[in-house]
Amino acid sequence: MTAISLSGVTKRFGRIHALAPIDLTVDDGEVVTVLGPSGSGKTTLLRLVGGLEAPTSGTVTVLGGDAGRARAAKQIGFVPQAPALLPWRTVAQNARLLLDVNRRVPVRGGPSPDELLADVGLSDFAGAYPHELSGGMRQRVALVRAFALGAPLLLMDEPFAALDEITRADMRHLLARLCELSATSVLFVTHSIAESVFLSDRVAVLSLRPGQIVGAVDVALPRPRQPELEDDPAFFAVETRLRALLHEGAGR
Amino acid sequence: MTRPRIVLASLTGLAVFGLLWEGLVRLFDVKPFILLAPSEIVAELGNAPARYTEAALVTARHAALGVIIALVVAVLLGAALAASRFAEQAAQPVLMIILVAPWVAYFSSIAIWLGAGDPPVVFLAAFVTTPAFVFAAVAGMRSADPAARELLASVDASRWEVLWRLRLPSALPAILAAARYTVGLALAAAYYGEGGNLSTAGLGAIGDRAAAAQFGPALWATVISTVVLGVVFLAVITIAERVLLHWHASQRDTALPRSVR
Ligand SMILES: Nc1ncnc2c1ncn2[C@@H]1O[C@H](COP(=O)(O)OP(=O)(O)O)[C@@H](O)[C@H]1O
Ligand SMILES: [Mg+2]
Repeated sequence: MTAISLSGVTKRFGRIHALAPIDLTVDDGEVVTVLGPSGSGKTTLLRLVGGLEAPTSGTVTVLGGDAGRARAAKQIGFVPQAPALLPWRTVAQNARLLLDVNRRVPVRGGPSPDELLADVGLSDFAGAYPHELSGGMRQRVALVRAFALGAPLLLMDEPFAALDEITRADMRHLLARLCELSATSVLFVTHSIAESVFLSDRVAVLSLRPGQIVGAVDVALPRPRQPELEDDPAFFAVETRLRALLHEGAGR
Repeated sequence: MTRPRIVLASLTGLAVFGLLWEGLVRLFDVKPFILLAPSEIVAELGNAPARYTEAALVTARHAALGVIIALVVAVLLGAALAASRFAEQAAQPVLMIILVAPWVAYFSSIAIWLGAGDPPVVFLAAFVTTPAFVFAAVAGMRSADPAARELLASVDASRWEVLWRLRLPSALPAILAAARYTVGLALAAAYYGEGGNLSTAGLGAIGDRAAAAQFGPALWATVISTVVLGVVFLAVITIAERVLLHWHASQRDTALPRSVR
């Protein structure tokens, strides 16, 4: 089964042509990254898949139905660009926010939030408030919050964009590990080439204005992904291809 | 500043104010009805402590009930107005009218409508404090983090849940800041309403009778009692802020080193 299937999806905001016809599929358990420069429509694409926005034309199928239904069934774990932690909730309470909200809908539930917090090294901060955490720690809580929902599909909008280079590298290693443990389908968007290669089974490159997929690259690197992989010539080779595709997209 | 120093500074300020007042009254021999020396007010309070305590409790109840009713109305109204710019614009002039209309002009109508006793007094206290709470609630709810709003939408949270889990806590700092001002307003309204309505107890009723009888000590004793109530109310709000807003930047000691200030 396919987790996500977009066919001929376009989106306009008034005169702005945000997305030209997009065709994209994400198979069950697959990690797909959409790589593109700022303003290429990555957030818009995620919002369409998340049922937070309707396409101007084309069809969006999520988990075999329409996106709104998947959202109503709490089948989407969303990781926004800003961590969006609630400042009045402790780390542990923030980690279970998506489980607490909309309880009418029964959820499968993933690993327990406490386990996940321990897994990302935040056990000692379970009782802390967001203002007591560093940026990287906050984003780790946001990841835990999404994984704890146990949703079959995760959508992530450049969750590490605001972090420094060193923390970003740690975070993508952590995320790769969480993804491999959970076997959910993931649609990740980013403007970082290294992130896209390290995390994904496949990378689709988006061009600017209108956002359009100029090419896709299969990342045939072994799993589980280890941090050392980033020094491997095979890793560079994929990065180089993606860089070329990005240039191609920008040159048109 | 450390806490003992803050207390010391506040007490010093009050003592200086009291001494100046006492000195002025004695020096210029001010008529008791215009301004009474603090020592005489204290003596009057000492003569009938039970009378003033009971009256103060009645006034406190009127004002507190009014503030609580206003708070509930403002949160519900604020939630509706925060959801619609049009409704907010429509409500704006009405709230402004309530805010600026003088009570003196319309309280007798309320008294006729709601009859003798507590209801018109509580109504007035609630009525005059509602606009400030509504403005605070709307502004606070609008300030809710849009990313968090989107996160809640991603699991299809109901409007009610968004209000309860996100908008209301986001509005709490603004609402409590407004409460600092509305408690004073509610006390003034309660005092006025008690004085202007039939068969009510409370400081305003005593003050009204004292004014009619030109009896300065009793009038000023009610004024001082109302001030004390105001201080107590503010203390309650400060405690509420510490408890409810411990997560908020306003409750943190974010002082920079002296050199960077
Ligand atoms: N709600 C909106 N209203 C109008 N224009 C929008 C809206 N959302 C996005 N856009 C426009 O669509 C384009 C793509 O935006 P976005 O999806 O945020 O890109 P990215 O996430 O890749 O930076 C931009 O030109 C942006 O200005
Ligand atoms: Mg974006």
